[in-house]
Amino acid sequence: MDLLTFARGPALEIAMAIFVIGVLWRMVGVLSLPAWRDDSPPRKGAPPAWLAALQAIFGKMAPHRTFLKAGMFTTINGYVFHIGLAICVFAFAPHILFLKSLFGLSWPALPSGMIFAVGAVTAGSLIAALIYRLTSPVLKLISRGNDYISWGLTFLPVVTGLAAASHIGARYETLLAIHILSICVFLAWFPFGKLMHAFLFVFSRGATGIRFRHRGAQI
Amino acid sequence: MSNDQTLAAMLRQRGVSRRAFLKYSSYVASLMALPPSSAGALAEGLANARRQSVIWLSFQECTGCTESITRSHSPTLENLMFDFISLDYHHTLMAVSGEAAEKARQQAMEANKGKYIVVVDGSIPTKDGGVYSCIAGISNQQMLEETLRDAFAVVAVGSCAAFGGIPKANPNPTGAVAIKELVGDKPLINISGCPPIPEAMTGVLSYVLSFGKLPELDHLGRPKAFFGETIHDRCYRRPYYERGLFAEGFDDEGARQGYCLYKVGCKGPVTYNACATLKWNGGTSFPIQSGHGCLGCSEPDFWDQGGFYRPLPTPLGAMGPMLAGAAVAGAALGFGASLSARQHQKTFLAPPKSGEE
Amino acid sequence: MTAKTTASGVAYDVQGTQGDLARRDAAMQAFVQDFAKTAAIHMESCLRCGMCATACQFYVGTGDPKYTPINKLKPFEQAYHRHVGPFAPLYRLFGIGSNVNVEMLQEWEALLFDACSLCGRCTLACPMGIDISELIKEARHGMYKAGLVPDRLELMDRTAKAWGSPATPSDDFADIIKDAGEENGVPMNIDLPKADYVITTAPAELTEHTKALADIAKILNKIGASWTYSSEGFEASNIGYINGDLELQEKMTRKMIDNAIAIGAHTLILPECGHAYGAARWEAARWYGGKIPLKIIHMTEFLDEVVASGKITLKQIGETTSFHDPCQLARRGGVVEAPRAVLKALGLEIKELEDHGALAWCCGGGGGVVSNTRADPLRYKAFELKKKQFEGANAQRFVTACGQCRITLTLGAKHFKWDKKVESLLELVADNMIV
Repeated sequence: MDLLTFARGPALEIAMAIFVIGVLWRMVGVLSLPAWRDDSPPRKGAPPAWLAALQAIFGKMAPHRTFLKAGMFTTINGYVFHIGLAICVFAFAPHILFLKSLFGLSWPALPSGMIFAVGAVTAGSLIAALIYRLTSPVLKLISRGNDYISWGLTFLPVVTGLAAASHIGARYETLLAIHILSICVFLAWFPFGKLMHAFLFVFSRGATGIRFRHRGAQI
Repeated sequence: MSNDQTLAAMLRQRGVSRRAFLKYSSYVASLMALPPSSAGALAEGLANARRQSVIWLSFQECTGCTESITRSHSPTLENLMFDFISLDYHHTLMAVSGEAAEKARQQAMEANKGKYIVVVDGSIPTKDGGVYSCIAGISNQQMLEETLRDAFAVVAVGSCAAFGGIPKANPNPTGAVAIKELVGDKPLINISGCPPIPEAMTGVLSYVLSFGKLPELDHLGRPKAFFGETIHDRCYRRPYYERGLFAEGFDDEGARQGYCLYKVGCKGPVTYNACATLKWNGGTSFPIQSGHGCLGCSEPDFWDQGGFYRPLPTPLGAMGPMLAGAAVAGAALGFGASLSARQHQKTFLAPPKSGEE
Repeated sequence: MTAKTTASGVAYDVQGTQGDLARRDAAMQAFVQDFAKTAAIHMESCLRCGMCATACQFYVGTGDPKYTPINKLKPFEQAYHRHVGPFAPLYRLFGIGSNVNVEMLQEWEALLFDACSLCGRCTLACPMGIDISELIKEARHGMYKAGLVPDRLELMDRTAKAWGSPATPSDDFADIIKDAGEENGVPMNIDLPKADYVITTAPAELTEHTKALADIAKILNKIGASWTYSSEGFEASNIGYINGDLELQEKMTRKMIDNAIAIGAHTLILPECGHAYGAARWEAARWYGGKIPLKIIHMTEFLDEVVASGKITLKQIGETTSFHDPCQLARRGGVVEAPRAVLKALGLEIKELEDHGALAWCCGGGGGVVSNTRADPLRYKAFELKKKQFEGANAQRFVTACGQCRITLTLGAKHFKWDKKVESLLELVADNMIV
């Protein structure tokens, strides 16, 4: 079996299985823990829990002005690579076809050249994030292996995707295989590292939103 | 025609001018992506070439490759080329001759020891002693082994010979293998395609005749001159791919506008062949130009790459049921983990109950 | 109890006679038991982005990365991943993450108690909404069980258990009330068997700010309310809420609330104290399994109600003022507008600090930090931020609604020879009430 067939076939199957098993294991494992009930009377006019959760989920998309100055790089660079990744993943025709084969949904694509430019910017932004993590005294102290592994496994698909699109480094089908394999490793790692924030942020923000809005406090 | 006659002599005999011959040589040289300077060498080589003994073995095949090469639309010279080869043995064309054909084969092998070329089309069944394809009472595998013994080189024509082709497709009931599994260290050229482009076959033959050696081959043994670029990289519809304009079906607006066929299953990006440049039927058209995606027919196992109409990014495995099972397993593990955590919370380092020592 | 230093030079206090392993086990057990769903989700969610550091006055004041809020939770976090998380068995199997030992807990004592005032600014800065302040409060439970809390906080714990209050024996309470009434010329109600309002106190009212005892009495007398002080349940600041002694937190909460219910009160007025609000208004219900048949309000909320009702009229002061929002009242309690309404009713023009309301900087003394003298250097760093903000607002007066904030800011002012007086909202209302 050649590398590309392996990547598109068994590798992707196993990686997606690990992804689904792992994500559900972790999410159900945490969400099915008992919760403390808050019996204190809510502040008058407190919104229902679901609304409070939504307010936090969306409200925390931008930091409070007072934190923005010190957190400017983290916030802006964070958005650059998140939006960049989203565009590369969801607006590139081959990726849309991949998702369509899984979920049956599809939408219009952006021109490939635009995706390439966004991908290059995303790669640069990720490198900037790594440099920041390696040089900031705060981040150096609190970073763990998890942070570096998650960075690496997010960076590889971007860079191998760029290589495949520009045919640099090997034959195209080899580059494509490597790109798909990098996604396989990414998917397999996803449930076990901080990439899970993609799912967790809903509940983490939501829980604090519920707690704070119950008290009539700003989130 | 005597075997000692050179090609030049033969062409002179047929009334082909030296000028026409040189033009042909330049054409072949450029086809083979050889530098302009080698056109002369090619011409020289061809002119002095002696009639080449070729033994053509057809195994598990559909005869499409033979049909293709004999449909070569190139001018008369190509046919002359074909005439110049001493086709000492060809299964299909000689089928009516029966035993006499087999004798012809053995004689040709003896007379041209170490110098004859074996051309093979079709794959070789190996299961159950290779009984699934027998000719003249012996299995294909046996016939190949016999015939290869004193051959100079082997040319596997068509994807079946080069990679196993349709007989090898899942579930491969006959245990079909590509020729390369059985040639040992004999020089092998794979001219894949289902069928191959006629000019690819004749171009390679010209090269071998002229220079007495094999052209530059890729990692799959295919001549780089014809298999060095992907369809995608030479496709005239590529700008549509880049701009994100696709046909969604075979009769929609996109199809009518001639947009890229990636979404309806074109395997162009991972298929190496010359269809987008040389095209078929003397440069008339090729599948994409006719509105159908590339099947990837010059690549190994192209029948098992998920389907001709499923786009390239579609995973090969059956995802649905597997992922449903994975979801159930994951949720179960999650519940188990939280139950175990609750239990652990109660018992972890719990101080001994009073009364116990 | 003794003050010690770890091999790496970190100061810590230790109490009790437990061996090192027993301390470690006690802490780990308490850590593990503290995790319910929300705490677990939060422990899973940290991205190591460092935004929490930008919000913490102890990091901003010193520039020392170890004061990054999420870093303060390291032993707590590790207990979670090894014992409660969905992959806990894998963590234990593969030995991932260092196992918590007693040395680590000793090092972390100062991070959890000296360098954190439970102010919750980090919670607001976290993009994942992790309630770091709440988690630190929970982590303190384990530290208390391990006998690794600052000596002063442990001392206050013992006095609270012995006296019913960290600063004053319950026996003295009635006298203190009587004296305050006499000094300020205000009739006091002490230990009435039945009343509508029960007033509770914090240590500051019974020591430095005894005038406050008379101030609230004056207002309640003016509106003709039926009210009382009660020796059986007066202590509201709840040292257990701060030092990690969860059992004491429950005991003090129940004592205060049960007593008020026994008196037949419909309203319990909490003193000008931040932690009292958190402990009684928001956390008390966890021990009652259902709704508490009592309205629990902060002094500020009472003042707001009484001013809005029109039952008292206030002299107009006609000056400018800044307001320091006590963290547990504003940011974590939801009371931001009430004090401002009262200030406006006093005819004061509010010159807001650059960071005010829910985003105000902490005075630096909450969470027991002001009581823990070992933390003084850190507290002064936090004060400098407050001083700068006040000078930026350039107001004539400086008001707050928490006795401990007032003490902290006053101590800071003394240290830096700053001449600003920090005033109490209750005092302002009582002093400017037209009788």
